[in-house]
Amino acid sequence: MIVLEWIRFLTGAVCIAAGLIFYVIQFIGVFRFQYVLNRMHAAAIGDTLGCGLLLAGTVIFNGFTFPSAKILFIIVFLWMTSPVAAHMVAKLEVLSRVEMEECCPVENPEDIEEDEA
Amino acid sequence: MSRKRPQEEYNSSLAYRFRRWMNGEKDPFVGTLEMKPPAPLEDPEQIYEPSDYEEIKKKSREYSCNERLKTYSKVYIAVSILICLLLIMILVYAVSYLPSVGGESNPTNNEVPERYITEGLQETGAVNIVTGVILNYRSFDTFGEVTVLFIATCCVMILIMVENEEKRKKLKLDDYGLEPLYDTVLRKVAKIVCPVIFLFGIYIILNGHLSPGGGFSGGAVIGAGLILYAASFGFKSTQRFFNEKIYVIVKVTALLMYGLIALYFFLTGANGLEHIFPLGVPGDILSGGIILPINICVGTEVACTIYAFYALFRRGGL
Repeated sequence: MIVLEWIRFLTGAVCIAAGLIFYVIQFIGVFRFQYVLNRMHAAAIGDTLGCGLLLAGTVIFNGFTFPSAKILFIIVFLWMTSPVAAHMVAKLEVLSRVEMEECCPVENPEDIEEDEA
Repeated sequence: MSRKRPQEEYNSSLAYRFRRWMNGEKDPFVGTLEMKPPAPLEDPEQIYEPSDYEEIKKKSREYSCNERLKTYSKVYIAVSILICLLLIMILVYAVSYLPSVGGESNPTNNEVPERYITEGLQETGAVNIVTGVILNYRSFDTFGEVTVLFIATCCVMILIMVENEEKRKKLKLDDYGLEPLYDTVLRKVAKIVCPVIFLFGIYIILNGHLSPGGGFSGGAVIGAGLILYAASFGFKSTQRFFNEKIYVIVKVTALLMYGLIALYFFLTGANGLEHIFPLGVPGDILSGGIILPINICVGTEVACTIYAFYALFRRGGL
């Protein structure tokens, strides 16, 4: 049984550490990227993967109890709402920015074909 | 014996002016007290050319051209660091005199919290002592807070509400502009999430006397759900069940109900008389005397306030 306890502890610790690493990646991305959509991408990582892994780690530490069911509900709620919020902000940015080409250059399809050829 | 004064002398005397004023021939204030436009300024001499001003603007921020700015920026940084350190020292010095957390001889540890902790459950019927304190012992305080919310929304409505439909159309307040409206992703998710949010808010309000939470937090959750519903399905669908008429009725009724319940409780229960709110068994949903109805009133008030702020700032009307 001690081995099982150790396995549980290790998996929980790995989950929480991975969540923290994703949070660090999120912070670096939010502060280092210049353009809004890039920063949105970085922020969405922390909200979904980082938070989800942290809460999954706490669930593993808790075991099968009523609080862990609540935490699972929180994970479901976060994964349903946070990407939608990111999607809405990104859509608003795309629709409202006047000069999209300046900050988000898009290559012409014809030019790409020429490069390949 | 009087002598007739000459006409010129009489014309300049006080009596003559008074008589003219009485007859309405001349108002002494006309021409003396009115606001006059100031005399036009003489054209100042143009010392510099417009291009010179741009040059000055450019050079004024350069340290190499401005010795005073250089010293000023250095002194500024040094003085700000000094002031910060001084403030930190003063605050730390003050904190060192504070009593330790949870100490037995702390000044807050007097007979008031002792009474709350030992007899709160018997007197209020609330398992959650904090709710018992703010909604039973200090319900007058909380009534003031709810009134503040009510007055705040009233002020916002006075300032930015547009009641005239034609004026609203002219100002294009209902127009969403560039905002993404009727987004499929948002609508599908809101369809699933909104009922859960409303249920959770109602759960928090109804369990205010049993678990952490209460009217304020539950009302905030319901208000957030209303905002999500309005943002995803448009204001037309919210107005089916929550328009201006219903808003006024709900809000005023909640405040009045709170006032009446609190008044009745102060007249009877606070004086030890028999009152109609049974304390019930501690731990049941229907227990806690006046706490449950007051929690419901506070919850509706807060939900209405939050949604009204959103709607008023969004489109100038409910």
